[in-house]
Amino acid sequence: MKTEGQIEPVMDLNGSPIDRSSLSCHAPIWQDILAQAVTGEQLAAMNYTSLSEICDDPAEVADALEHAAGERGHAASFAAEGRKIGVDVDNNVDAMHWRRLREAFLGCIAERDFIGCLIVQEIMLESFAVASYARVAKVAPGSLGETFARIAADEEQHVDHAMAILRAERALDPERFDDKVYRLHFDVMTTLAKMLAKECKDGHCEVCHSSCVKPSLGDVSLSAAELRGASLEQYLKALDMLGLPGEVTLAWVTQLPI
Amino acid sequence: MGYAVANLARREPAIEVDFALIGHQESWRAAADILAVLRGGELTALPDDEIKDILPWIPPRTVCHVDIESRAGGNARGLYIDCFIPPDRLEAAYVHENLARVRAAASCAIKSGAKIVSLGGFSSILIEGNFDQLPEKHNTVFTTGNTLTVGFIVQGIKKMCALEERNLRNATLLIIGATGDVGSGCARCLAPVVKRVLLNARNIERLRRVATELEAEGVEGELSTDLQRFPTQADIVICAASLGCPSLLLDRIAPHALVCDAGYPKNLSPNAGLVGATVFFGGLGQIAGGLSFTPDFFGILNRHPFPNVVHGCLLEGMALALEGRFEPFSKGRGFITPKRVAEIETIAARHGIHLAPFSNADGPLERQFEYQTQSSRGWVARHVRPPSERT
Ligand SMILES: NC(=O)C1=CN([C@@H]2O[C@H](COP(=O)(O)OP(=O)(O)OC[C@H]3O[C@@H](n4cnc5c(N)ncnc54)[C@H](OP(=O)(O)O)[C@@H]3O)[C@@H](O)[C@H]2O)C=CC1
Ligand SMILES: [Fe+2]
Ligand SMILES: [Fe+2]
Repeated sequence: MKTEGQIEPVMDLNGSPIDRSSLSCHAPIWQDILAQAVTGEQLAAMNYTSLSEICDDPAEVADALEHAAGERGHAASFAAEGRKIGVDVDNNVDAMHWRRLREAFLGCIAERDFIGCLIVQEIMLESFAVASYARVAKVAPGSLGETFARIAADEEQHVDHAMAILRAERALDPERFDDKVYRLHFDVMTTLAKMLAKECKDGHCEVCHSSCVKPSLGDVSLSAAELRGASLEQYLKALDMLGLPGEVTLAWVTQLPI
Repeated sequence: MGYAVANLARREPAIEVDFALIGHQESWRAAADILAVLRGGELTALPDDEIKDILPWIPPRTVCHVDIESRAGGNARGLYIDCFIPPDRLEAAYVHENLARVRAAASCAIKSGAKIVSLGGFSSILIEGNFDQLPEKHNTVFTTGNTLTVGFIVQGIKKMCALEERNLRNATLLIIGATGDVGSGCARCLAPVVKRVLLNARNIERLRRVATELEAEGVEGELSTDLQRFPTQADIVICAASLGCPSLLLDRIAPHALVCDAGYPKNLSPNAGLVGATVFFGGLGQIAGGLSFTPDFFGILNRHPFPNVVHGCLLEGMALALEGRFEPFSKGRGFITPKRVAEIETIAARHGIHLAPFSNADGPLERQFEYQTQSSRGWVARHVRPPSERT
């Protein structure tokens, strides 16, 4: 990691001098936020690549590969934002929580469960991405904020696409569909809830470059509680759109670890 | 897709929803209790700080099913939908956010197919009775429920006066929040039967309008935006101001006063040292045929010391559902008349919905009444002095 003294001049920021100074003095915080984002994007790219392998329909294969490329593009955009503020953005898809999320997705792949894959990636992981990127976009200065906003909008679009497929699937057998969502919720959302907890209780997340970034989020006008809240809100709204009963999904969410 | 939708209709037989109740919690304790029921007893309870962090993010949604029975036979099914307005964010600063929550809750009610929706507590205040602010409605009608609320406040005052041997006709009545829908409705019902009325709210113009209307009916009274002018003169006080938290002090209240707190959240501050005064919560009714929640929120959604007690505003929608009268009975602000109140009271009574037994922050008052009938030194003996002893 580069020290603050080595930070490259910020050339392309159209933000105010305050933006620039806040970016450089908070670079280590943005570095960790970007590292989580890049990791999530890399994982999404891997998930879509895996998904393409279980699709029978060539159009679906192409679709999944296109998504995978899109997610790699997002990862590259975030990494580029890191370079602009003079930090290297690492990613670690093997970090404990991310690995667990990947395993859950691979479980669906093993069962050739296309719908399960969409639920994990598009409803659970993307809710988290859309909501947290949107919160970060509100406070991150200059092009950093713009990139988060643009990618949040992109993610939202492919959630819409998956939503249509999933709604049609639920219509065939709501009870079976809801049972599947619950099983996946229990696994995936439990892991996401641990990642999003106000304090990391399972030790270092293996993505933050030194100590956990959560206690420092206040310095860039964010908080772990807000990122978790916004993610859960987005997730509940996504489940509402699928047609799951609101009282049931609320109970699921209240049972998540804190 | 066409096939899929047809299939859905067969597999998920729509449960017919007669009514929906839209509400929000009055305190963090109440909100925490709801989340605790949903979380279940096996997991450790969510700490208070986590509840305060999580609740503001919950989108409005159904929390439980509600079943009610009519004393005339028949029953109705409904939903309780919570707006999840954080209890400390009812103030004006949050009006846009809260309005969005009420609209989202209304959408849930419409989507459920509810035929009538009661707007509880602040949900009606936020839309100011202007139903055009709600989402497109299809076959769902909305009522603020304020007419039955006024009915129960007025009944409560009359019953309390009878129990305490007070003469309403000689009384000076103070209404705080007198220009509101509830406050002005109470004024129209009670002004003709008391000696004088004192009207209080913050906006002088609106106060003048209510006063002019009452004067035309020959009512004697006074208005002021300064509450400090009134308390010592009042024998009976109705607190019906839309306060975001219980903050009313009434510290100069006459010791013999009868105070009905009809606010939700309550108007009276826990520190209001109303020495000697009789305080009771108003606007509450009881559904004799019974009320049940699925999952079981008994005592959590209805936090009263007596069973089956519900706020008048919510009971209005239930009464209309039992009656099969799906109409926006209470709509707009300032249209509650004694005639409309009598009409909704008759409907409610037909289905076994009556004034609730009395209670206040210290618990039940009625049991104390019952107790005094068996004892020579009961509640009435302690709290109620005959008129001759009153100052
Ligand atoms: N018990 C029950 O079942 C029910 C209780 N309620 C409760 O009754 C109360 C009134 O409801 P509703 O009539 O619909 O509301 P409205 O908004 O119609 O009226 C509110 C009234 O309070 C006044 N007010 C607000 N703040 C103050 C203040 N600080 N001091 C004095 N007056 C004030 C307003 O006038 P101004 O702005 O000029 O001050 C207005 O007169 C609320 O707490 C509501 O939740 C409502 C329905 C049912
Ligand atoms: Fe992405
Ligand atoms: Fe961490």
